[in-house]
Amino acid sequence: MQILEQTKKIYKQLLWTWNPGSDKEAGDAIVKNVMLHWFPNKVSKGSLSWMYSMYLGTISFVLFMILVGTGLVLMFLYVPSVERAYSSVKDIEFVVSFGWLLRSMHRISAHLMVAVVFLHMVRVFLTGAYKNGKAVGSNRPLNWIIGISMLLLTLLLSFTGYLLPWDQLAYWAITVGTNIASSAPLVGEQIRFFLLGGNYIDQNALIRFYVLHVFFLPVLVLLLFLWHMWRIRKDGGLAVVDNEALTQKPEKVEPVKTKTYSLLGITNGTSVHVQNTMVNEEINSVPSIPNLTRRIWLVTLGTFLVVLVLSFIFTAPLEEPANPTVTPNPAKAPWYFLWLQEIVTDTTLNLGFYTINGALIGGIILPTLLIALAVWWPYRDPSGINAVGVWLAPERKKQNYVFIGICVVIIIFTIIGTFLRGPYWNFYLPWEAWPTMPVKY
Amino acid sequence: MNHKTVKEKLDFVKKDKLFLSAGGILFLLITGFIFYDYITPEWKDIQSEFSDIIAEKFGDERAATIRTGLQQTYVKELNVADRCITCHQAMEWKGMENIENPFRTHPKEILEKHPINKFGCTPCHGGQSFATETEAAHGFTEHWEEPLLGKELSDFYVVNNKKAMMQIRCNACHRYEKETKGADAINRAKQLVNEKGCRACHVINGRGGTVGPDLTYEGEKSAEQYNYERNKGFASMFSWHIAHFKNPKELIPETVMPNFNFSSNDAQALAALVMSWKKPTMPIEYIPGHNFRDVPSQEEIEKEERMKNGPGAFFVNKQCFVCHSVSSFGVEAAAQIGPDLALAVEDVQSRFGRTLDDFLMKPTGTMDVVLSTMLPLTKEERLEAIAKLRQAYELKKTELKTAKTRQK
Amino acid sequence: MKKENNNSPEQHNSTEKSRRDFLQTVGVGSVLAGLAGLGFQSLRSLVPNVLYESSQRFKIGTPAQLPEGVTFLEEKRLYVFKEGKSFYAISASCTHLGCTVKYTKLNQPKEVEENGEKKTINHEFHCPCHGSKYYADGTNYAGPAPRPLLWHKLELSPDDGQLIVDLGEEVEQNFRLTV
Repeated sequence: MQILEQTKKIYKQLLWTWNPGSDKEAGDAIVKNVMLHWFPNKVSKGSLSWMYSMYLGTISFVLFMILVGTGLVLMFLYVPSVERAYSSVKDIEFVVSFGWLLRSMHRISAHLMVAVVFLHMVRVFLTGAYKNGKAVGSNRPLNWIIGISMLLLTLLLSFTGYLLPWDQLAYWAITVGTNIASSAPLVGEQIRFFLLGGNYIDQNALIRFYVLHVFFLPVLVLLLFLWHMWRIRKDGGLAVVDNEALTQKPEKVEPVKTKTYSLLGITNGTSVHVQNTMVNEEINSVPSIPNLTRRIWLVTLGTFLVVLVLSFIFTAPLEEPANPTVTPNPAKAPWYFLWLQEIVTDTTLNLGFYTINGALIGGIILPTLLIALAVWWPYRDPSGINAVGVWLAPERKKQNYVFIGICVVIIIFTIIGTFLRGPYWNFYLPWEAWPTMPVKY
Repeated sequence: MNHKTVKEKLDFVKKDKLFLSAGGILFLLITGFIFYDYITPEWKDIQSEFSDIIAEKFGDERAATIRTGLQQTYVKELNVADRCITCHQAMEWKGMENIENPFRTHPKEILEKHPINKFGCTPCHGGQSFATETEAAHGFTEHWEEPLLGKELSDFYVVNNKKAMMQIRCNACHRYEKETKGADAINRAKQLVNEKGCRACHVINGRGGTVGPDLTYEGEKSAEQYNYERNKGFASMFSWHIAHFKNPKELIPETVMPNFNFSSNDAQALAALVMSWKKPTMPIEYIPGHNFRDVPSQEEIEKEERMKNGPGAFFVNKQCFVCHSVSSFGVEAAAQIGPDLALAVEDVQSRFGRTLDDFLMKPTGTMDVVLSTMLPLTKEERLEAIAKLRQAYELKKTELKTAKTRQK
Repeated sequence: MKKENNNSPEQHNSTEKSRRDFLQTVGVGSVLAGLAGLGFQSLRSLVPNVLYESSQRFKIGTPAQLPEGVTFLEEKRLYVFKEGKSFYAISASCTHLGCTVKYTKLNQPKEVEENGEKKTINHEFHCPCHGSKYYADGTNYAGPAPRPLLWHKLELSPDDGQLIVDLGEEVEQNFRLTV
């Protein structure tokens, strides 16, 4: 018998990564499991509303999952070597069945993810959702910082993926991008050298970007994402819940029958907290399953549809093979860095004998300041508890204007950089034709 | 509980379900469309058309042998994977010489020296080897620099010599030849290079003056490196070169290059030649006229000549000279393993106690092994060898005598 | 939902409900079918349509260029034998698990009996992986090898007189190409 027990235990240990010592431990394991608690039991109408959250976070996650799915298949098809990267991408486009679709979906999702994560941040700011409400233990500023980190990681993921096709677009975008990094004071050159594994973008750079792109950055995003979601539950759900709790009048409702866990065991009766304002929960909230889960499926499906349709409309470009001897004209960074490239172009300062490279101001100082400001602001935000979880709260008018202003400038610069800058970075209005670039034949 | 509130509360459910269903159907439709796209590529139509033509011309049996699906010619040496034969299936078929492309047989003579499995298609014709759609494959798309050098381009540039464009590719390998059979435009241009003395100012293939730029790898340059401000025609490297050959000053006012008043044809041929001057990336065995071989000195050539055609030619041709010298005939052994055959008549007698005739007809030891496996000699050849060896011995004897008398 | 239906038990509502149910089934079914389609696409993309492999048929030079005796073509894993004017080719791939067998010269000729025939051999093939051994003609006699080594067809090209090997075509052990 002893042996049988022992075998059973070993068997369990093999199947389970952890063998609970008691029923309480087993119960705790379930209660504490993040994976089993994505969603609360009940979800408020405000949290469910399209208008409040716009489901931008969900969309970001769905896009991330599309990227992981298509990326895993693409990893089998892509060869990260300077000799074969380009031709393997060409093969994905032309001779791999559905290869064009996988690549196109991967690319569209990557671009959309940058945009959607950015919009998600804008939404959180404009609804004051990085502010703590009344819930005990909530630490929304921390989650905001996690979010900012994930925005930066999203940019990095997209940027590292940009080099992999090894075409002219990739090569020169990375040249411009990494040279911005090299303009950082003191350590800039070393950072670039370490990033590229040499002085030039070559095999070392390619394999580094590849490993970052397919392993380290996605894993980091996934871990941060788990933390992000866990914090949302710890913070008492979306910020709009705090607002609902504040604004709704407590309504007299029949006390709900509950079970109370007391020292002496389970007692039936009415619980104490029914007198709380949270009684409204019953009227203003619905069970998460199936209402929230259905919504999530709907958002997932919608995101898939948009990605699929866009994949048809915009075929992923692939330019000439990377050629270090020919700089295409114009050579542009990825679009989400074009506001920086635009600023970099305009900020080279001449102070008497001393010239400050625009890359330092526009490429290093400005973004660093913006990130620092974003990280610091939740702790500085003077608005009160009434501004939590409300779109464009009057109390936060001034800061919202400043924030929108910064975003609009970034967006305008991005648009200028993307659509209005032609050869030699000259400015062209939309109806002005760019000079045609010469060809061989 | 207030039922009204509950109803209101779940208002969105109906909508959500409706959207979900509609979205699901749309999703299925799109997936269906993707599959439709997958089973109807352009090349499938072309392959079935080819099959129809073959069935009509040669019967269903031959049509059944046609390979279906994507086809690829892979040439490892050139790192080329051409999908052209997916549509151009008749390349090596007989009897399709007069059919319109893409189903025409490839001209046979040129294929004999340039078999498809060693050269592929794009190394000679240009175009985008990766592609599997006509337009992309012919390379007339954005971001592809090397389009098909065929009729379309010839028509575009009004090139009178229809084959001139393709010869750009021929000359990628044939660049070190003075004249290449069939490449008339390039041959004409090479002739002009000599006649007009281009090397007076330019280095070409390592020779020439330094007044003008080195043109050895001019075709390697990118189109952006030229200034098109004064180029009236299409902004391409090829048209720049044509215009520049016709009148250099028109494109570069400060140039010292004289105007040679080239005709249109000559200017086009020269432009083609210049465009062909690329760095060779193929293995050297693909480059005719290259110098990657031992160059024998005059002395070595003379010695070889003497050995091959002198009195001892027999011993050289029959490989005896690998081990044996025949000093009186001037044959020198490559490796002097065996004794000098000039003294064989004496030698055999003293070593084996047999006459030369007897020994050669029935050799023993090493010579038995050699003559039975590596260098089989017929009876007539052996007799010839014996006769020659006697001759060599006589010569050697006189040689030795004169040497002795001289010593005395 | 239950309560809602109890409140309005009209015929009209139940047909609407069944219609809605139908729509929902179709919707969910479509999503599942679509997902299955995407899954298939991902798997299909991993089945290559073109191969970067060299041809099974290749030329190895003219008969005169080959030296007498054995020539090992490393890349093709093939032993080509020239015996005066006859030629044959034996695969170097061990029939056990595909390691490359080594041509082993024997110190002294060995008498072997095969199919009732007595032969003298000067060399053998030995596999380095699991010790399989083959006689000169490729017949396995020791170790785990289940079959004799493959013999491949040799032809003479009518164009340039070069020998052509066809790895796709197997021939009997008595095959000889005589030129």
